[in-house]
Amino acid sequence: MQERYLLTNRQINDDLTRPVLTTPFWFWVAAALLGGGLSLGLLVVAVFVIFGLGVTGLNRPVFWGVMITNFVFWVGISHAGVMISSILRLSQAEWRRPVTRAAEVLTIFALGTAMTFPLIHTGRPWRTLYWVFPYDFFRAIWPNVRSPLVWDPSAIFTYLTSASLFVYVALLPDLAVLRERTTGLPHLFYSIASLGWRGTPRQWYLQALAGILLSALILPVFVSVHSIVSWDFAVSLVPNWHATIFAPYFVIGAVWSGVSAVATLMVIMRSVFKWQKYITPDHFDAIGRLLLVVGVGWFYFFVLEYLFGFYGAEPAEIAVREFQLFSWPWNLLFAIFMLAAFLIPVPMLCFRGIRRSIKWMLITSLLVNVGMWLERYIIIVPGLAYKQVLTFSYGEYTPSIFEFTLIFASFCMVGLGILVFSKVFPLMPIGEAKEGQIFRASVKVGKVEVPAVIRE
Amino acid sequence: MSDTHGHNGHEPSPLVPPGATDRAVSADVLGRVLHPAGRRFRGWALLLTALLAIGVVGFLLRLQGGVQDRTQWGYTAALFAILLSTFQAAPLVSITQRFLRSQWRRPLGRATELLAVVGLLNFLIMLPVVAALPPLAGRPSLWNWWPGAPHLWDTLGVAILVVNGLAVLYLAALPDLAALAVVGQGWRAGLWRRLAGFWVGTPRQWDIQRMALGTLGMFYFLMLVFSHSMVAMDFSMGLVPGWKSAIFPATHALSALQGGLATTIVMLFILRTVGGWQDYLHVDQFWALAKLLLSFSLLWFYFFYSEFIILWYGRQPQEEATIGLLMFGPYLVPFVGAFLCSFVLPLALLIWNPIRRSIRGPVVVACIILVGQLFDRVRLYVSAYSIEQVGGHVLEHVPAFHPPDLVDVMILVGGAAGAVLLVLLASRLVPVFSLWELKEGMMLRKVVPLVRLRLAALAKPR
Amino acid sequence: MALKRRWGMVVDLDRCTGCQACVVACGAENNIPLNEEKIVNERRAISWIRIERYWVGTEEAEQTGDYSQVKARFLPVMCQQCGNAPCEPVCPVYATHRTEDGLNAQIYNRCIGTRYCANNDPYNVRFFNFWEPDWPETLRNQLNPDVTVRSKGLIEKCTFCVQRIRRAERGAKREGRVVRDGEIQPACVQACPADVLLFGDLEDAQSKVAQKAKDRRHYRLLEAVGTDPGVYYLKKVDPSATPREGTGH
Repeated sequence: MQERYLLTNRQINDDLTRPVLTTPFWFWVAAALLGGGLSLGLLVVAVFVIFGLGVTGLNRPVFWGVMITNFVFWVGISHAGVMISSILRLSQAEWRRPVTRAAEVLTIFALGTAMTFPLIHTGRPWRTLYWVFPYDFFRAIWPNVRSPLVWDPSAIFTYLTSASLFVYVALLPDLAVLRERTTGLPHLFYSIASLGWRGTPRQWYLQALAGILLSALILPVFVSVHSIVSWDFAVSLVPNWHATIFAPYFVIGAVWSGVSAVATLMVIMRSVFKWQKYITPDHFDAIGRLLLVVGVGWFYFFVLEYLFGFYGAEPAEIAVREFQLFSWPWNLLFAIFMLAAFLIPVPMLCFRGIRRSIKWMLITSLLVNVGMWLERYIIIVPGLAYKQVLTFSYGEYTPSIFEFTLIFASFCMVGLGILVFSKVFPLMPIGEAKEGQIFRASVKVGKVEVPAVIRE
Repeated sequence: MSDTHGHNGHEPSPLVPPGATDRAVSADVLGRVLHPAGRRFRGWALLLTALLAIGVVGFLLRLQGGVQDRTQWGYTAALFAILLSTFQAAPLVSITQRFLRSQWRRPLGRATELLAVVGLLNFLIMLPVVAALPPLAGRPSLWNWWPGAPHLWDTLGVAILVVNGLAVLYLAALPDLAALAVVGQGWRAGLWRRLAGFWVGTPRQWDIQRMALGTLGMFYFLMLVFSHSMVAMDFSMGLVPGWKSAIFPATHALSALQGGLATTIVMLFILRTVGGWQDYLHVDQFWALAKLLLSFSLLWFYFFYSEFIILWYGRQPQEEATIGLLMFGPYLVPFVGAFLCSFVLPLALLIWNPIRRSIRGPVVVACIILVGQLFDRVRLYVSAYSIEQVGGHVLEHVPAFHPPDLVDVMILVGGAAGAVLLVLLASRLVPVFSLWELKEGMMLRKVVPLVRLRLAALAKPR
Repeated sequence: MALKRRWGMVVDLDRCTGCQACVVACGAENNIPLNEEKIVNERRAISWIRIERYWVGTEEAEQTGDYSQVKARFLPVMCQQCGNAPCEPVCPVYATHRTEDGLNAQIYNRCIGTRYCANNDPYNVRFFNFWEPDWPETLRNQLNPDVTVRSKGLIEKCTFCVQRIRRAERGAKREGRVVRDGEIQPACVQACPADVLLFGDLEDAQSKVAQKAKDRRHYRLLEAVGTDPGVYYLKKVDPSATPREGTGH
């Protein structure tokens, strides 16, 4: 930590509650735009329900396309929260402090958005809801627990619940700060929400304990969620889906794209809320190093996936791989994916200058997510198009305008969620910022005062 | 809000004996190397040499039988994989923690790097094992069409790994060897002078050493993962027709990391009790390693299950045959042993804070894990080496369990003894503690008061 | 799982001319939506049985320029009613399951249209209703009252004309006897002019289909995948074919 700002508690309170207590003009503009985008998405869903899925580009044999890609993409992004707040908390990394809450909130809204896709994607979504609520216990036909599509909601809901609990437990002290600074109806809301937080030592101890326990317990959930989503594909017989590597491959891909999304979010928060003293180039440097390690790890699993595509020399899989790599438009998409997801960002992240530059971190993090969206698309569609050696049934897929609208609407939904959250709750943890100030120290080494951190 | 990782108000564990000066620490660490070996040392060295001799005899007997009958070499292949997954994986503990700049690893860094010398023995063990591999025709391989595959490239890969490991050890020990060259006597001083005589300790030299160590350390990590991927594919998966599992190389590498951690813990325990280094190795080290061990045991299960669920779900004939060979068929006992010892028991034990945060606890778990490694490698390599027909797309005939005969036992015992012996002898040339890193740690650390506690502040120069 | 009765088919490829009478008959019998040109171009045409056409000898012809030796091979593909069906474990609502007489049943009113079964089906014989089926006024009278008309958003596939099977079984029960071999003919079997398709009980050793399935030309599609299909194919006899190293597994 080379640049550290000395901030008083009052300064921290003021800076971090300002977005909640005041509403600048840009907020309304952003809310309107994002809300508009989300409404377009709702319109598209209405079209699906009224006219049927024929309005999409889906066909036989490509029954899953852009919508399932979006589902996997957003579940992937949702892995940022746990990575940043849980793993970095357990390893006592100082640089996590400004971003834990933003990452967790990104998780929650990304998961919520992801969950809508399998629902609107079914042929009869009204039947899907009716299947669940109320469940028909009387005919004794239970959900098929052997189906990965039943594992999915179990995992995702568990993750959503634990992540929400995690955010709430960490929010309590900050809600108390807001309680002291508001009057009227907001004051009532914050009073109830803060559960009577007084800041006594015992309360701090319990809250810390809860945080540690949740951090540790959420880790297996975090690993299991994307593994289970990956098994939607891996347990099937589709040639390039049927690979044992999918679970860790998808999880590490999720961390890669999720932590990049957090880096993007860091840039946005810093400029929009004017938090330059809280999110410094040091933080970008640290997240950049984490990204570098994750990116290289991801590449190992990616290589294994492709290597084993060719390893068994099975005609069905070779046909799919050749289709993915060499035929139009997949060759172009594959090239873009490789460049965006690995070949450009990873070498760039090796350089300290790049890691400390806000502009370049924004560019690399956006690139990574473009690449990772394409990665899922390239996995899902070609395998379905060229499913088996019975070549007569080979097909192709072109997404429709409705599917592109849904991609756009999903970004609007997540953005709107985080925006509204930042209006009601402080997006940066006030308590963590203050704790970081307490743990500052410096050590005299020879003639130099070196900045240090107190470790418990 | 604060993490209760701490010691609940106690002072943090010291890096060196309390109140020790730089000079005292140097005398401790270097003195152990410089003084002549004690009686206990000689006794152990003799015993291990005897066991190694038994192993060599067994090895030569096996060599007499030639490499044509692959089934005979199954247990030797397993030994090779075990040493690759334990001793040769241990340096990664030091390398990764150095990359992460964690402080608790300072006392154990050199001990783990020293274990890389076992690579020399392992390379020799590998030679007939790789020669016994069948040619590539008619079966899948990592190397596809490359000439000389797989024998040439596998040998080269492991050779590079061994050299890399020795290079990391050399670079990490360089400042200490230079110190030894100054104060040492006899033939060893001549060796130290030749190896490290040029080292003066200028800032430029330190910079170069740091960068080279970082780079070579990273290469060792990559090479180890690659070696394990390669060994898993060529010596095990490639011999089983119909077994195509993209995760298996990663599983193999991961279980090696678990094995490396376990070997490190056992080695530290031996250093502490038999070596008498209680003042340098505290519960901090064991606790941190135990937490890592718990994570890796959970990951072991995760990687195993990821493979299993895909192989089991589709009910395809070649996958059912693979499961029959490796899990529920003739190798059921090693499989259950591996599952219990690599996952169930470590989880059941390490989940308790008192066990994690002790010294004996992690050591017991580490020994259980090493037993699990033995079961697991036997299950993978003895089964693969017993298969007659390696081409084709389905394993038609699952071979029966191949029990170890006397020669196999001799080789296994001799291999383990030889590995320990090599490390023991290496400790006479290279100090088991990284003196310069201990001193660096002493320099960067200061105990400061915070409210009512006294905690360690760690300086972060970069 | 040993069944008392397993409905199966034998398809004699040596006889098939690719006339597609089976496709039309199936469409008429099972209330399959009309495959207009627009729908076919969208790749959403539904045909529970289809004739796959493969060309043999095209590589040589491209090199020599002489296409006179290129031959067409026809492969009628319908739901294989697999014994080890990959489509069954993946349906979240149990809309598809194996019946006691060896059929893979599709329960329309349970289906919510996730299409996972269609993805996991290696034969691509499952069809999804992307649009609401609609027939012109004049054709509505020819809909079969024994077969459900499916709405948009659910999966359908060949059922071996289960309505005919059940009708025959009910009739036989009323008469106090068992179903005779050859009594049940799905629409495709009935319509085929060349006797390509044969239907019957594979578990009944006396039935024609069980005996024909043991013919030395027999094979099953994608056998290595392990699906245990209930449809046996008899290889086409090609006197001019030269023995070739098999590339398949």
